[in-house]
Amino acid sequence: MATTTALISLSSDIGDSMLSLSNRTVLTTAGTDTGVTKTTGLSRIETSATDNVILFDSGESTSTAGTNAITSGKLYIQNLNDRGDGTKYVTLLLGTVEIGRLYGGDFAFIPWSGGAGNDLEITPSSTTDTTLEYVMFYE
Amino acid sequence: MATTTATLSLTSNDILSNSLSLTKSMTLYKGGTTSTALEQMHYHRAIIPTGTNFDLIAESAALADNSNYVYIVNKNTDVTDYVTISINSEIIGKLYGEDFLFMPWNCDLSAAANDSSIEIQAYTHDCTIEYALFHVGETLVTAADS
Repeated sequence: MATTTALISLSSDIGDSMLSLSNRTVLTTAGTDTGVTKTTGLSRIETSATDNVILFDSGESTSTAGTNAITSGKLYIQNLNDRGDGTKYVTLLLGTVEIGRLYGGDFAFIPWSGGAGNDLEITPSSTTDTTLEYVMFYE
Repeated sequence: MATTTATLSLTSNDILSNSLSLTKSMTLYKGGTTSTALEQMHYHRAIIPTGTNFDLIAESAALADNSNYVYIVNKNTDVTDYVTISINSEIIGKLYGEDFLFMPWNCDLSAAANDSSIEIQAYTHDCTIEYALFHVGETLVTAADS
């Protein structure tokens, strides 16, 4: 069993009192306290496409689950571009459903159930070269 | 101007043959800007009963097409208790006891009503969750007796 730990902290002076949140979790298999033992490893891609790019294929685009047919994963993804003028971003999608936008320098850490039709995809907002890094931990 | 910073660290000494250590910090800005930070937030704690898929964060015009960031943690300690987080009935993933997520959220009003709201459903037992939404604005409701 491997032990992989995720630690997040959020701090802000957004209110009159400082906000400081932090949490730590060990990445485990579904419904157990057994640590996940598989990972895609850290991947880095560059794309200038403005079409959807499939990061993990659950069959939304190919009708059959592809080689990345992963269930019960945890994804870290980061847009490595500079923020630039703040107007360029990468849309993170679950199949055709938009989750959110990763502007330059932004990251996300989400669970991913996979399953039919739930490809994880990205769509850059412009033809500017976009560099992303991501890693999936899974069962 | 407020400054809100999110930092995530991922570490493992044994999932690969070499140690893995990632750390990333980001400042939460408004979309389309280079330096204007988000200045509004909600921070909630709620008990989600089993059996129903709820809107946790409902879409609204004030939130649309911009930067919003969501943090959700399942505070249950039983590892078999979980919530599903979904958008438009498509499940992003499950948060088991003590799991968390941090993600951008784009409130998209271009299609069917309520289709970009963040939904949550608890399984096994009621789940206590905490969530924070850092956002660009909210639609305030005029008081009925004003």
